Amino acid sequence: MIKRGKGMACMWYPIGFTVAANASAATVKVNTDGTATVLTGTVETGQGALTVLGQIAAQTLGIATDDVHVVSADTDSTPMDTGAIASRTTYVTGNAIVLAAEKAREILFEAAAPLLNVRPEQLEAVDKKIRVLSFPDRFLPIDKVVAHAENTLGKPSIGSASYNPPTVEMDPETGQGKPFNAYVYATQIADVEVDDETGEVEVKKITAVHDCGTPINPMLVEGQIQGGISMGVGFALQEEILFKDGTQINPNLTNYIMPTSLDMPELEVELVDNYDPTGPFGAKGAGEPTAVPTAAAIMNAIYDAVGVRITNLPATAEKVLAAIQEKNKAVA
Amino acid sequence: MKVEITVNGEKKIADVSPETTLLKMLRDEFDLTGAKLGCDVGDCGTCTVVVDGESVNSCLMLAARASGSEVLTIEGLATFQKLHPVQQKFEDLGALQCGYCGPGMIMSAKNLLDKNKSPSVDEIRDALAGNLCRCTGYTKMIEAIQEAAKEINTTNAL
Ligand code: FES
Ligand code: FES
Repeated sequence: MIKRGKGMACMWYPIGFTVAANASAATVKVNTDGTATVLTGTVETGQGALTVLGQIAAQTLGIATDDVHVVSADTDSTPMDTGAIASRTTYVTGNAIVLAAEKAREILFEAAAPLLNVRPEQLEAVDKKIRVLSFPDRFLPIDKVVAHAENTLGKPSIGSASYNPPTVEMDPETGQGKPFNAYVYATQIADVEVDDETGEVEVKKITAVHDCGTPINPMLVEGQIQGGISMGVGFALQEEILFKDGTQINPNLTNYIMPTSLDMPELEVELVDNYDPTGPFGAKGAGEPTAVPTAAAIMNAIYDAVGVRITNLPATAEKVLAAIQEKNKAVA
Repeated sequence: MKVEITVNGEKKIADVSPETTLLKMLRDEFDLTGAKLGCDVGDCGTCTVVVDGESVNSCLMLAARASGSEVLTIEGLATFQKLHPVQQKFEDLGALQCGYCGPGMIMSAKNLLDKNKSPSVDEIRDALAGNLCRCTGYTKMIEAIQEAAKEINTTNAL
């Protein structure tokens, strides 16, 4: 018989470790055509980091994201970055880019201030303009200001900066301290169907609600969460590296089974409105945390459906069926 | 041996050894590197191309077997002016992440829409079942294919 169950799991995940050096450096230069170039050592692997970093630079400089060219991942020409690891890129590299872009922007404010008869701190960078705060009609186009700074004042608009979440020593006695600079939170709910005669589990739906601070690019965050859930579903029900005599016996996709489009349930993803004052424009991170609660939620749903606790993943049909039979024996 | 096929509307001839797969010929002889070599044994679908109207794993088809066929690869979808609606919607909705599965995924989707103008979600899931994606969870792809179907249908209705 098909039994339905619902399970929930919550998690927190740390962003920006502080137990050791964790730096990202960045360089931002604004060009005389009003575009900008960002140099970063981090790597794009499909998570959308370079888009997000370009958005962060664009927002700081008041220009369009399409006008930002991001150059990345070349040890010859790009600044040091600890890496596209630990869900740290938006937070740590993003903060470095804000700081670098602010320096480049400061040069533009100083160049534009006398021309607009104000002090640099009375200026803002928006809509491709350097503009007087609260006086939207008093402005200079950003490309003109860059050219003036470069060619007349001899001060090219460029900034380099690095960000390192302040390193905090852990208490050697208690092992306690503040190992990370920020934390994200999430809850996922799994709806499953379990066939109590075969042990087969089908995930029907996963509802995922995540906090990542203020999402810089909600579409990409959603994609990260959906992808993380697919890894979580595989972890819960299918994926396992099998060894025999120290050798992997399922080293290819014929026998290492991962979710296909038929295995993936309907996904409902929601982002919580939040703001972290230590992150770039309020953002924290969204990579690894997305996969954390999925398997736990599915195991709880299996328990809800058929009353067995699976504590050894993946919860294959064989394992679930064995647990159900065990339970039935105990009852009889 | 000589193999003569039509690729993306262009007649092509190659001299290949008998065990050469269609994928290897496309990539090595014709420089069409859109179709990817993922597993080489028919598990992943990154090598998907359309042969005479059927989507196939080109790593499993011998080049000789495709002789005389019409082959469509990902390179044949876009023009310089315009992406194919499936490509455009994949881009608009952020349906790909690392992109490695993309060429195969998009060819499977395109072939589905050629045969079924308004596929249901289940029909789309079926059509993509041979294309593995490690990154995305498939959700945005399914949405993008539905959107592309809508767009193709409205353009055709005009
Ligand atoms: S390369 Fe052809 S299916 Fe994987
Ligand atoms: S986008 Fe990375 S495998 Fe599909």
